[in-house]
Amino acid sequence: MTLAGQIFRSALAGATAYLAFSVAASADAEEVRIAPGAPIVIGGYWVLSGGDAALGNDQKRGVELAIKDLNGTILNHPVRLLAEDSQCSAEGGQTAATKLASNPAVVGVIGPSCSSEATAAAPILWNAGLVSIGTSATAPSLTAPDRKADYTGFLRTVFSDADQGPADAKWIHDELKAKTVVTIHDGSPYTQQLTAEMAKTFTGLGGKVASQEAVAPTDVDMRPLLARIATEKPDAIYVPIFVPATAQILKQAKQTPGLENVAFIGGGGTMSPDIIDAAGDAVVGFYGAFPDVTPEAQGKDYPKLLKSYQDEYGEAPTSGFVANAYDALTLLKMALEKSAKTESDGTVVVDKKALHDALFTIKFSGMSGEISCTKDGQCSAFKPGIYRYENADRSTFAIGTNPKKIYP
Amino acid sequence: MSDTSLTTLPPGASARKRINGIDVFMWALRCAVAAIAIFGAVATLLQGRYSLAQWFDFAMFGLTLGSVYALIALGYTMVYGVLRMINFAHGDITMTGAFAGYFVASGVSRNGLLATHPVLAIVAIFAVAMATCIAVALATERFAYRPFRNSPGQAPLICAIGVSFVLEQTVRGMFGSGVKSYPLTTWHDAVINVAGLRVPVVNLFVMGCAISAMVILYLIVHRTRMGMAMRAVSEDKAAAALMGVDVDRVVVFAFALGGAMAGVASVCYALIYQQVHFFMGFAPGIKAFGAAVLGGIGSIPGAMIGGMFLGLIEAVGPALFLDGLGITAPYQLRDAIGFLVLLMVLIFRPQGLFGEAMAKKRA
Repeated sequence: MTLAGQIFRSALAGATAYLAFSVAASADAEEVRIAPGAPIVIGGYWVLSGGDAALGNDQKRGVELAIKDLNGTILNHPVRLLAEDSQCSAEGGQTAATKLASNPAVVGVIGPSCSSEATAAAPILWNAGLVSIGTSATAPSLTAPDRKADYTGFLRTVFSDADQGPADAKWIHDELKAKTVVTIHDGSPYTQQLTAEMAKTFTGLGGKVASQEAVAPTDVDMRPLLARIATEKPDAIYVPIFVPATAQILKQAKQTPGLENVAFIGGGGTMSPDIIDAAGDAVVGFYGAFPDVTPEAQGKDYPKLLKSYQDEYGEAPTSGFVANAYDALTLLKMALEKSAKTESDGTVVVDKKALHDALFTIKFSGMSGEISCTKDGQCSAFKPGIYRYENADRSTFAIGTNPKKIYP
Repeated sequence: MSDTSLTTLPPGASARKRINGIDVFMWALRCAVAAIAIFGAVATLLQGRYSLAQWFDFAMFGLTLGSVYALIALGYTMVYGVLRMINFAHGDITMTGAFAGYFVASGVSRNGLLATHPVLAIVAIFAVAMATCIAVALATERFAYRPFRNSPGQAPLICAIGVSFVLEQTVRGMFGSGVKSYPLTTWHDAVINVAGLRVPVVNLFVMGCAISAMVILYLIVHRTRMGMAMRAVSEDKAAAALMGVDVDRVVVFAFALGGAMAGVASVCYALIYQQVHFFMGFAPGIKAFGAAVLGGIGSIPGAMIGGMFLGLIEAVGPALFLDGLGITAPYQLRDAIGFLVLLMVLIFRPQGLFGEAMAKKRA
């Protein structure tokens, strides 16, 4: 990020923090009253534009499909989804959360896609009494046992990277038989924690982590970094970062002597067709370490979800988190039904605290598997998987075939 | 415009008379940064982690990136030289050229022209990108800058920032916010071996473009009638107008030249990094502006040297200065090093590397 950009960002962060304080006073009502016929407003925030837009839009669609399957109603009230674009950045998350927190009609929030968004947004939402259910924010700290009280309102229907990193290390060590690896993160909490976890386990298994590198998400010239990595002669490079930087790394690695045949292993940030557009032919052979989201590893109704997705949007899901987003809405709906009170005239009263407590008591078999929340807000279990891109044509993108699942 | 500066003391005059706390602090800062850089460099070289060929590679990467900075910086310098105005939208004008070039490139790649007639295809890509940049630059000048040319204060600068947003969001609205992959040319991966050193052809091509663009620009400014008119307007707009120079025409010409440079820069950028994106002009634009200031804004060789220097520092700096200090992940600090060096140079020479010669000539 450039200097001017950073100054602008910190000014923006200051302004939004100020806004957050000023609205906190007005919107901290403890209950939301929904008059007969009025909609139940559910907030949502995901990355809906930019290089990672496919990730967020997919999850928004998952929630929309879940609402559609409820015939658009919860507790006999129509449901309205208020989706904000949080741009996969802390600043975007802050802005989105501030907007949602200041809206007195919102009962709960679903999202986001990125951990940097959640890290900034979840406390703002919880300070306004709102629960939020993450759909692909997987940074371990968000549901760690020692998380701060500000994050009490955050739950997620997606696995935690606390399991992703060690699982990746195991595969790279046992199956790929790599002895020396290099990791690259982009400074975001998601990638930083993921690479740290993976490096720790890999060293524990007897492998060697030659170095832990970092780039900026907006960097374009990766060749100096790659030339440096080439001096370490790694067998594999673990680069679980996002689309634009990954694409540059893949393309430029092909031109770096010594790295032409080294295995590159990415993560959830590049499990979308955007990487095919951005990396072109260089994507072929790129590994994706990502939970097993193929139909056989999902809940029993997953094929139905795939079909209704296809019917509704005319394409296959573009990321692996549709089922997680679907389950987030189901979870919120069940907790609403359990905790909200309906008055004689049909007015529904949602007590935000009761809604939060109810979320932790729900257990169901969802689209992504079994859902039941630990006291730290972790509601989904982890199923490791490894994929490999086989084709550089965007239209062939389908998780399971291209990238093809090669493990387990 | 220079009335006020005549009444104030020139910078540095007071420093010669007495030494104050700020001078001491500045000298300490310079010495500290220089010491860290030298210590880091020596430690890195003693480690011997990189071979000579690898240092050569680093320098090649830096000079290639620097060539792109230099080409963009030439556009800043042209406009600044004539109008004394910083055209902050210049980076985004470059981005429009990259998009125009992308559409031609993906077209010629699909119909096979890029493989069968590479020279023709490249010329077409350059022509369309340059034409687009010139058109956007001229439209910007006519509709956004000319109305403000004689208004006092920072109006043109603020207007330039506005134009930058307009261009970014227009392209985003028209072509989407995703990253698009630029098609590969057949000679993209070709490499020349010189005494065991690998020199990618594309790097030579980009450097060649930058150097020839600079030479052409220099000849235009110093050897043609139009160039003479530009220099006249640069020195004193009112006097030049009284001598019969058509100031509007000169300004339009300067923007057209700047646009042409942006067009060349955009294709070079896309040839190396193979991505186009609506926000791609912002970061190189800021860095090229830094490069233009580093070289002494308004000076053509200055923009060139400034751009090359900044590119070189970004590519070599992290490995050279930070590796030896044992700093992990040095490439994350690349921008910090680039801008720190920019600041250090400006502390030593506020007028930039090539700024003074020009200022003397004007005085």
